Amino acid sequence: MEPATENEWDRLSSSSSDGEEQAASDGSSSQFNRQQHVAFLMMMYESLPHHYQYQEINRITLAHFAISGLCLLGALDRVRVDKDAVSDWVLSLKAHPREFYGFHGSPSSQLHPDDNGVLMHNGSNLASTYCALAILKAVGYNFANIDSKSILTSMRNLQQHDGSFMPIHFGAEKDLRFVYCAAAICFLLEDWSGMDRERAKAYILNCQSYDGGFGLTPGSESHGGGTYCAVASLRLMGFIEDNVLSKNMSSSIIDLPLLLSWCLQRQAADGGFQGRANKPSDTCYAFWIGSVLRMLGGYNLIDKEALRGFLLTCQSQYGGFGKCPGDLPDLYHSFYGYTAFSLLEEPGLNPLCAELGMTEFSALGI
Amino acid sequence: MESDEGDEQQQEAERLPLSQRPEWSDVTPIPQDDGPNPVVPIAYKPEFSETMSYFRAVYYSDERSSRSFQLTKEAICLNPGNYTVWHFRRQIIETLHTDLQDELAFVGRIAKSNSKNYQHHRRWVAEKLGTGAVNKELQFTKKMLSLDAKNYHAWSYRQWVLQALGGWEDELDYCQILLGEDIFNNSAWNQRYFVVTRSPLLGGLIAMRDSEVNFTIEAILGNPENESPWRYLRGLYKDDTESWINDPRISSVCLKVLSTKSNYVFALSTLLDLICHGFRPSEEFREAINALNTPDSGPLDSDLGRAICRVLECVDPLRCNYWLWRKSKLPLTVSSQ
Repeated sequence: MEPATENEWDRLSSSSSDGEEQAASDGSSSQFNRQQHVAFLMMMYESLPHHYQYQEINRITLAHFAISGLCLLGALDRVRVDKDAVSDWVLSLKAHPREFYGFHGSPSSQLHPDDNGVLMHNGSNLASTYCALAILKAVGYNFANIDSKSILTSMRNLQQHDGSFMPIHFGAEKDLRFVYCAAAICFLLEDWSGMDRERAKAYILNCQSYDGGFGLTPGSESHGGGTYCAVASLRLMGFIEDNVLSKNMSSSIIDLPLLLSWCLQRQAADGGFQGRANKPSDTCYAFWIGSVLRMLGGYNLIDKEALRGFLLTCQSQYGGFGKCPGDLPDLYHSFYGYTAFSLLEEPGLNPLCAELGMTEFSALGI
Repeated sequence: MESDEGDEQQQEAERLPLSQRPEWSDVTPIPQDDGPNPVVPIAYKPEFSETMSYFRAVYYSDERSSRSFQLTKEAICLNPGNYTVWHFRRQIIETLHTDLQDELAFVGRIAKSNSKNYQHHRRWVAEKLGTGAVNKELQFTKKMLSLDAKNYHAWSYRQWVLQALGGWEDELDYCQILLGEDIFNNSAWNQRYFVVTRSPLLGGLIAMRDSEVNFTIEAILGNPENESPWRYLRGLYKDDTESWINDPRISSVCLKVLSTKSNYVFALSTLLDLICHGFRPSEEFREAINALNTPDSGPLDSDLGRAICRVLECVDPLRCNYWLWRKSKLPLTVSSQ
């Protein structure tokens, strides 16, 4: 992600001290500055600085980070977010019937149908669709009103022969990220007709590397994000049972002991998690890898204090989290910082559903 | 025709708004329709908004002309992440039959300043050019990797090139060179595994295993604290645990590292794994562990597996909970005297 400039963050810091609880002026403190994070997210929700224009096409993803982030911080009901306006905006991004009938990432790729009502340009994609559903869950939208059938039927066309998924009908990268999006979509819509689970499972298994982690494609280097997508997908599809580490591991379809060893080795000397061996620690892997461990029932095997210490050095004095210690914050690392603190059971944060990357109560539709 | 690399930079410096360009005077730009209550609105820069508005106009009317082609270049330079623009550019290329070599050069320039997003487009062009593009594509990824030897996108693209177009001949050498530059480069180790297991020019994993084990052991002895070769060594025996525990070189390298009494965490954990899979260590292993003299470990447990776990709890404290858990999972053995 593009870093912000100091000037842009001055704007943030001057308006972020809301409420009685004042965070320490030095952001990298011994505390999780919840108030400051809420203020940060609200600023982002209301207006993103221009350097975010590079992520224009995935604006709905940015919206997911902001809104689901507020949800995690237990603040969604208490801020100036009009939930109906949010769901209206999300629904306005739904593509009309043709090819994949999912959601667009932003209005920029969305054009009106021609004079005959035919939508010639369908830029809707799997990642946007997942984010759309996540936002709708966060604001409590009634899923009975979603045309699931059109999404799911058209989604099958995106699955490849080897089980992987293309994100969009006109072709793009095919890798585990989109398998995950597909599985999450089916799970949220409570309907698995959108994908061939056995084929997807076969593809995922092919992605397990010789060192126990998962790459994004078969043969590629094991990677925190890839590993998350693999394990979360298998969990959602029902191929890995709850708390599998406390059960008979030898019957697992993946090499569990090796995966566990790989995941735990990702916690580096500075307490943070790295995405790959011999790479620097990065805030977001506290979620990607932490979630894998949570899903397997092994989260308590990490050094939580050390992780917390690392994450606090990535906490910005303006609210939000950056990628590495001292970095300026961005929406992506902020969201994953919040999910990481939720896994650490930080007081005031809502519990996380690791498989879906959203709060448990959103996932359950409460 | 030489590439117009300077052209793009020039454009940024002296950009004339599209509304003022005579060749665009007949086009009505389509502004973005954000709706009444946009969420996370972006404060777009004017040139960004304008370019995208004109793009939407030609995209909507499906105008596959050379001015549209030029416009996609501008839009991509401003926003390489927009896959819709790349897609339309491909449609124009198909219609106008523009030069594919020039296209590779263009993507190459974009890739330098934006190391994601270019892959699918590059792949599409390379596929059209066929096996003749092999050298150029290997060269391209080599260049990307010289800027960042762990660039995930470059590696995954390189793997695609090898599998789709060939060019395996020098790949093992290339891995060797990268590892020579940085033995800690896990991406290079991964690529090595990829070549050894998939190259049609080599004999496959089992045929290559012997020489690979020797190479890896050298790397381990040079830097026993390096996780990559330890994982690689285990990977060489994937799906063949029996051969792994029976290869004397494996336990031997553990012993060697333990005897140096430094950087022995991976040596210990590997030994633990060997034992858990049935390896029976000789007395020298017990002696080597005894000699470590780690604090707080107390008298050495008669069960070597348990003893190793206790040492690891001390010397790898970040994973203390894990080693406690491993210890609890060890099969109960009748401890011998």
